[in-house]
Amino acid sequence: MAMNFHTSDNPGFGTERTMTSNHSSSAAYREPSLLELASRPEVDPCDVACDAMPGYVLGDLGKLESAWVHEHAEHCGYCRAQLEAYQSLDSALDTCAAPVTTACSQAKPPSVAQALGLKEARFGFMESILGPLMIATTDTGVCAIDYLEHGDRDSSLRRLEERGILAQEQQQFVQPVIDQLNEYFARKRTKFFLPLDLHGVTPFTRSVLDVANQIGFGQVVTYGCVAIGIGQAGASRAVGNALGRNPVPIVVPCHRVIKSDGSMGWYTGGSHLKHRLLEIEGVRFSSPSVVNQQALEI
Amino acid sequence: MTELVTHLNGPGDSNGSPPPVVAPPFSVMIDRVGGEIYRYAWHLTRNQADADDLYQETLIKAFRAYDKLPADANHRAWMYRIASNTFISDKRKQKRDNPLTEMMEQTLTTGTPDHARGLDARDLLHEVEAFVEQLPPKQRVALVMRKYHGHDYALIAETLDCSEVAARANVHEGLRKLRQAFADRLEV
Repeated sequence: MAMNFHTSDNPGFGTERTMTSNHSSSAAYREPSLLELASRPEVDPCDVACDAMPGYVLGDLGKLESAWVHEHAEHCGYCRAQLEAYQSLDSALDTCAAPVTTACSQAKPPSVAQALGLKEARFGFMESILGPLMIATTDTGVCAIDYLEHGDRDSSLRRLEERGILAQEQQQFVQPVIDQLNEYFARKRTKFFLPLDLHGVTPFTRSVLDVANQIGFGQVVTYGCVAIGIGQAGASRAVGNALGRNPVPIVVPCHRVIKSDGSMGWYTGGSHLKHRLLEIEGVRFSSPSVVNQQALEI
Repeated sequence: MTELVTHLNGPGDSNGSPPPVVAPPFSVMIDRVGGEIYRYAWHLTRNQADADDLYQETLIKAFRAYDKLPADANHRAWMYRIASNTFISDKRKQKRDNPLTEMMEQTLTTGTPDHARGLDARDLLHEVEAFVEQLPPKQRVALVMRKYHGHDYALIAETLDCSEVAARANVHEGLRKLRQAFADRLEV
């Protein structure tokens, strides 16, 4: 086509428009409207009308521009035939697309987790005496318990994704975990019978969590003690960091590991939660935040 | 208790600065835009096997790059862009690998008007369909986004990494080519 003008949804004619794209010159320019172009003596209005027809059938033109194309075609046999051809083409394209639209509305998209080679999980929520908790499970077992007062749902999901787990919300799947947690908070349960899924957890952290998992209800041990348990005496700091990465707190009782002076040490949901959990388990404190030394099983 | 929790979790909360923009998890982003990207893959490829492949390839590329994407990026346009570029590059690869197929298809889609007049409406539709598939990939992408998904030119431009004017030109040029190819048969 000889002419190269631009159409617009803007119904106004002769308005000043600025190209905003990075790919274009930043200089403002005045874009001629269809009517302006068509009224120029050196321009054939039929060329303007035909050039605007793709925009006409796709609904790209402003109301006045559309009306002009329509009116021009009404009075010009050549342009009317052109416009009707574009309209036939437009409906042919609609007809071509119809079976695809139907088929894709019935087709199930491939599973995102499978496409990415990630593990699938379901997550749900519970209200607890420690605040809201988010729980995620895979077919293997519980893969995450998160204190939502400490973070938010999205950060929990991102942490799961970093571990290669993609979770969808499905509350009913986490109910067995909620039931056991509720019994624990009500002091009716001292041991969890829940399979775990530590997918994406490093071998070192896993070994630390294995040792922590052997600490019984109401018992407390020091970080140094766990370091000895994994055969790396003196690695208390690394043990502390690994416990901080425990994806399933409460169920894997990292709260039962405290500092050698009896103070709480760091805890994923805040040390006050660690204190609260130990209280539930009947651990005695010599001062508000220091465990009675006699309770420590060093 | 809640007050205590809030207080203890407070570092950085009390300084009054707005919280930084955090990108949604990948799964949440896909929940929002995955469906329409899948439909888009269908309209580009027109069959389930290819649509599934294109969608999966798009997901994999997006997941690998997601962490590097600025949190406030336009995820929807970004996904369209990955899907479109994947489609375009697959098309180019096919053309490179099998130039004969393309030549044959082009011969099929450019029947002479005399011959064409003898064909019924169903044949015409098939030919229009085949012609759309043979449009240059950028024009096809732009046409599908505008015609079948009703997207505005800002999103099409962002997807094709071009100006809105160029995006519009791609769509219109696609229609003009179709109009020219089926000139006599479409006029009423």
